[in-house]
Amino acid sequence: MSVNLHLNENSVLKLEGLSISFGGLKAVDDLSFEIKEREIFGLIGPNGAGKTTAFNCITQFYKPNHGKIYFRDKHGNVTNLTEHPVHEIIKLGLVRTFQNVELIRELSILDNVLIGAHIDFKSSWIAQGFKTKKARAEEAALRKEAIEVLEFLKIADRMNLLAGGQPYGILKKVEMARTLMCHPKLIILDEPAAGLNDQETIDLANVIRTIRDRYDCAVLLVEHDMRLVMDVCDKICAINFGKFLAVGTPKEIQLNKEVQAAYLGVKEENHE
Amino acid sequence: MKNKFNVKKNQNLSYLIFGAVLCTLPLWIELGVLKNSYLTLIGSVLIYSVAAIGLNLLLGWSGLISLGTAGFMGLGAYIAAYVTVNLKLPFEVSLLLGLAIPLVIGVLVGLISLRIEGLYLAIATLSVSEILRKSFEELGWFTNGFSGKSAVYPKLLGFITLDKYTTYILLVFFLIAVMILVNNLINGQMGRALNAMRGSEAAAQAMGVNLLKYRLVAFALATSLAALSGVLYMSFIKYTYPATWTLGMSLNILAVIIIGGVRNLYGTVLGAFVVFAMPDLFLKQIPYFGTMPGFAYIVNGILIILVILFYPRGLIYIGNDFKKLWGKLKARVAR
Amino acid sequence: MSTFLQLVLRSLETGSIYALAALGIIIIYRTSNITHFAQGAMGMFNTFVVTYLFTSAKMPLWMAILGGVTTALISGFLVDFIIIRHTKKVAPISKQIITLGLIMIFVGVAPFLFGVDPLNLPAILPNGAVSIGGASISYNGIFNISFGLVLMGILFYILQKTKWGLAIRTTASNEATARLMGVPTKTVTMVAWAIAGALGVLAGVMTAPFTSVNLNLMDGVQLNALIACVLGGFQTFYGPVLGAYIIGIVKNLLVYYVSSVWGEQLLYVGILIFIVFRPYGLIGKKIIKKV
Repeated sequence: MSVNLHLNENSVLKLEGLSISFGGLKAVDDLSFEIKEREIFGLIGPNGAGKTTAFNCITQFYKPNHGKIYFRDKHGNVTNLTEHPVHEIIKLGLVRTFQNVELIRELSILDNVLIGAHIDFKSSWIAQGFKTKKARAEEAALRKEAIEVLEFLKIADRMNLLAGGQPYGILKKVEMARTLMCHPKLIILDEPAAGLNDQETIDLANVIRTIRDRYDCAVLLVEHDMRLVMDVCDKICAINFGKFLAVGTPKEIQLNKEVQAAYLGVKEENHE
Repeated sequence: MKNKFNVKKNQNLSYLIFGAVLCTLPLWIELGVLKNSYLTLIGSVLIYSVAAIGLNLLLGWSGLISLGTAGFMGLGAYIAAYVTVNLKLPFEVSLLLGLAIPLVIGVLVGLISLRIEGLYLAIATLSVSEILRKSFEELGWFTNGFSGKSAVYPKLLGFITLDKYTTYILLVFFLIAVMILVNNLINGQMGRALNAMRGSEAAAQAMGVNLLKYRLVAFALATSLAALSGVLYMSFIKYTYPATWTLGMSLNILAVIIIGGVRNLYGTVLGAFVVFAMPDLFLKQIPYFGTMPGFAYIVNGILIILVILFYPRGLIYIGNDFKKLWGKLKARVAR
Repeated sequence: MSTFLQLVLRSLETGSIYALAALGIIIIYRTSNITHFAQGAMGMFNTFVVTYLFTSAKMPLWMAILGGVTTALISGFLVDFIIIRHTKKVAPISKQIITLGLIMIFVGVAPFLFGVDPLNLPAILPNGAVSIGGASISYNGIFNISFGLVLMGILFYILQKTKWGLAIRTTASNEATARLMGVPTKTVTMVAWAIAGALGVLAGVMTAPFTSVNLNLMDGVQLNALIACVLGGFQTFYGPVLGAYIIGIVKNLLVYYVSSVWGEQLLYVGILIFIVFRPYGLIGKKIIKKV
């Protein structure tokens, strides 16, 4: 019960003093920030700033050395994510995408999306093996839902094609479809604009906004592409050398002297 | 493109039809169309297919390597023999124990797989198989040691005594049952989880797949199927000795799925046919060469290498490629 | 104490045999990325050649061995040239199956050329033993141990100190990059297969006097060589060699002091337990995939 006090009513995620070291190197150093419900939140920083490490800590792919990560799960309970193993995180309503697009090449796009519904399958393996009525009904229902998500992202026409060999832009959408199957409260997007051209990036911004509206979730965006970040984020947190630099609206961050210094003008060049 | 649902439904039906066709073999033999030896030959193919399907689940779908298949097959065989011959318990009990005991060991091996991977895991499973084989050699009270152990055709439900033809039908029954069950599992949640584990552990975990659980499941299934194969072996061949269950056998089963096609059930049966039946069916009949010692071995070895170099997806896809070729030819002619 | 010493000396001899075979396997693994399951079978085949030259062609033993080494070098070269060279696009697991195909070919050709009966190959040095600290070791044993050590010493020297060795180590580290840097990787793989063949036949010639020359001659050696690679780790060249000697010694100690029947199996169980704690062998290092 006291855990609930750590998180504001309208917040969904709060990092408190997150720290992790590898060898002697502090990759993330006492990082704290808070994400509100339905907020699109950006995490930025130059290369090597520790963004990826930070969010690997959030999703429990790494166990942090210090700090707490409070999260309000699907059922409204507040919990400390560090107490959960990595494969239980999705059950709480927190999902992520991968920069390297980790899809299963030999499966169809539809099957890849259905992997996102793994935790929703309740029938026993015996029922699945004998294809009982209940198992078949469950498979059909979740399949229907997956098709709906694919239609929402406008790629349903490819659903029976194998994932291997599809264009990169399509694969990124498939990964996003996969995250939507669990009705998430917070989606973490790992450099979603990487490898996309200008038009695709604009599409992406719209997709992110539509997802937030339709699925009523928050989005944490870890990203390099400043145009996308400034365009779509409600709030941004900048870090460097694993340490907190600044947090604020896109405008505030743009004007922040420390953030500018950290990027040494790279941001200026990106911003046409 | 065909609606995937229908194709899957048809797959199970096709397995049943395949099984029915297989069951006609005794008929052809009685009519004199096929030689007697075909029964043992095809029966063996069915037996090895079961073990190979288990390995396919482990390697093809779950991405885990094991070179211990032979040891578990042998264990299943010896348990079946011991339970029916020494303990004089019914066939059904021997089947249960023949699956349960290796399953437990298989799960233990699965636990090891959490710590070691790839080549190290392969050789670790190999040493488990070798320990089992040594046990077959030394535990005379259980296995009769080097002289080998004999059994009899199974007796179902306590009173239906089988003969060679009906035991063969039993083999068909088990193979088709395994194919249908595995097909159902693979196309559902479990199959997707195993595929995810193989394709990307990170993505699998992020999507809620408990790697520990599914690794154990993969090993449990593979071991049970290998053991089932051993039980069937004992029921049909009625005799075994320790030297059958060596690395060579494990490698042959591995060759079965590589040659036939990984992640493909018909491919597995085809691979078993190529590796285990072709030498006797075709190669030994070739005049002069057929009688040379080791000729079948040489040809099989060459065939394996050729298939891997030129047909890496497996022979099961030859059908597809012929269709494509035929299509191209037709287009050419039409012009 | 002298029994112990005797066991250790005898183990060094066994260890040498395993080490030679393991070195062949690891050289091929690190340059061609293939687990050479056929190392034993090829060694067996070439040992048959040696035996044939010695018994039927009546050559002196040292000449027969040279003949066997020559065919071993040639067979290794041919395997690489005809088959391995073309496996760039083949999945790793399938590459191991290729070596299975090789086993079948060599095991099939051997009886065809040399008949089905087991043959006999004597030891290199005549019978006789020497006493060291109360333990006795045969002349042949001393020879095997020293020869093994010297040969491996030379190979390691070449690996570490010569340009050729550098080429091999670079290819082993990253074949594509090595090629781009001008390292003749095709030649390196060819040489690797030839050397592995030679190491295999030497291991076979050392094993043969203890048993007979038959199709299963190298089965035990093959298995123990693989386990030596697991124990020592696949990441270095010297790891498997170290593993091989350890296996040789521990196995003989276990067989003598604990159980003559289950000694070897106890060793395997021990190694299994060991790699649970050190999954990459004595000298191995884990490679972490970044997500």
